Amino acid sequence: MPGRGRPNRRTRSTRRPQRSKDVLHGRGGRGANAFRCVGCRTEVSPEAPGTTHRNHCPNCLSSLHVDRRVPGDRAADCRGRMEALSMSVRPDGEWMIIHHCVACGELSANRIAGDDNALVLVRLALKPLRDTSIAHRVLLTL
Amino acid sequence: MSHPKKAHSSTSHTVLTGTFVCAWCGLTVSAAAGDGTRRNHCPSCLHSQHVLDHVEGGSSDCHGRMSPISIAVLRTGDWMVVHRCVRCDELTSNPVCADDNQLILMRMAVRPLAQPPFPLEVFGEL
Repeated sequence: MPGRGRPNRRTRSTRRPQRSKDVLHGRGGRGANAFRCVGCRTEVSPEAPGTTHRNHCPNCLSSLHVDRRVPGDRAADCRGRMEALSMSVRPDGEWMIIHHCVACGELSANRIAGDDNALVLVRLALKPLRDTSIAHRVLLTL
Repeated sequence: MSHPKKAHSSTSHTVLTGTFVCAWCGLTVSAAAGDGTRRNHCPSCLHSQHVLDHVEGGSSDCHGRMSPISIAVLRTGDWMVVHRCVRCDELTSNPVCADDNQLILMRMAVRPLAQPPFPLEVFGEL
């Protein structure tokens, strides 16, 4: 068949129907705000326990630079990958992940979600203490 | 003064006198650290002031106090202090100076482990 692009070995009668897909960029409906993580390619659903703004992957804590000031405003046109840089603690004891945009260097603080990978969270919180020489020097100067 | 943009955007008061008064503890500190680098936070309480616009570069009109909230580690192993402006919530990261208050640095580094959101005992079995 000329002008049909890639030749298909199957005939029209045996071709299976197209599988149903969720429109991810549309508004409303199931999967409206689902995203695929830019770090580990995990498919992430928007429902997160403990927070209404899912803004990072629960598996590898990577995020995407889409918001500027207000969570969910989608005003930033950077679209760079944001890596978890460090762990901060609010005065009320809640953990916050400091994200760092790989493309433009912007920093942002985000609340952790209830289904975030606990091992990755603790690894991030323990990062300053991994190099024992620094901690040793610090404790000596106290 | 190796960074021309930083030197240009500092306040004229700091350029003239070479000292600044900490916005939190009131300590008068010299702008140049002992190893020749330029200081951007108080070595005693680690608080800073929002005078640099990190998004667009140049000076900022905010002048809010910036409190230290976190310790970040570079790939080289150096520590950075993450500051947050109490007025406009801007976040910046600055390298740690050699004469910074080690007690406050260490307190910030172990702060997440003092109040974990889940019991840490399970990680002992891993």
